[in-house]
Amino acid sequence: MQETGFLGTAAPRAADLTLLLEMGMGTGLLAGAWLARVGRIRFHAICQSVIVLLNLGLIVLTMFPAFHRQVLPKLPGRIGRPYYALAVTHASLGGVAELGGLYILLAVGTRLLPEKLRITRFRFWMRSLLLVWWIVLFLGLATYARWYMTWP
Amino acid sequence: MRRSVSIAILTVALATGVGTITVGQKNILASAQEKPATAEVKIDNFSFGPATLTVPVGTSVTWTNRDDIPHTVVSTDDPKTFKSKVLDTDEKFSFTFSKAGTYPYFCSIHPKMTGKVIVQ
Repeated sequence: MQETGFLGTAAPRAADLTLLLEMGMGTGLLAGAWLARVGRIRFHAICQSVIVLLNLGLIVLTMFPAFHRQVLPKLPGRIGRPYYALAVTHASLGGVAELGGLYILLAVGTRLLPEKLRITRFRFWMRSLLLVWWIVLFLGLATYARWYMTWP
Repeated sequence: MRRSVSIAILTVALATGVGTITVGQKNILASAQEKPATAEVKIDNFSFGPATLTVPVGTSVTWTNRDDIPHTVVSTDDPKTFKSKVLDTDEKFSFTFSKAGTYPYFCSIHPKMTGKVIVQ
């Protein structure tokens, strides 16, 4: 039997933990952006890399299995219902944000990608991705609320 | 002679009628005995209602999701005695309890939602 959560909602413990970690990671990305602004580039790179990789782990371990079990079998028929629409929007945009984050890590932090696939306007892409990440975070909060909280 | 024929016809008719009634009664009794007992549990507002259900052996229990979000019905034992797929609004899951005992269960999406079927 799955363990019950600790936030007072109907969510399992894994969902509560994921919610808190995602909020922490969103805040961490803002802190990482501030590090870049004050010239601490190495700490900035470490901070953002850890968050992108940790997020990948959470997607694989908690979010994708729930999506696969509870949402995918009902698509596309029930996409119009808030329960599914929120989850699909969150998952789609979240996938874009995660892939974008991994791409920036590879393009800026390593020499693994060919020259023509590397980005030059990296500040623009990093700021854009940070904005998308926060939109995804709010969509995640909305999804959590719809999935696990009682509404009148 | 005519009277005898009339009596014979009447006797045959009565015998046939009584036979039909007897067979009919037997059929009704048999169908009543064969039809398994049923019970219902409603899933609504993050809870099972009734949370505890007591039924005789052989009862088929049907869970119906009246909530506007998906739920599941999964027994807590291992291996699982029963386990539904994810039930969306108005979807149902049934299980027939053929052995006496207490069967606790929960919703695997919302583990705080628990219930129990007592089979006597």
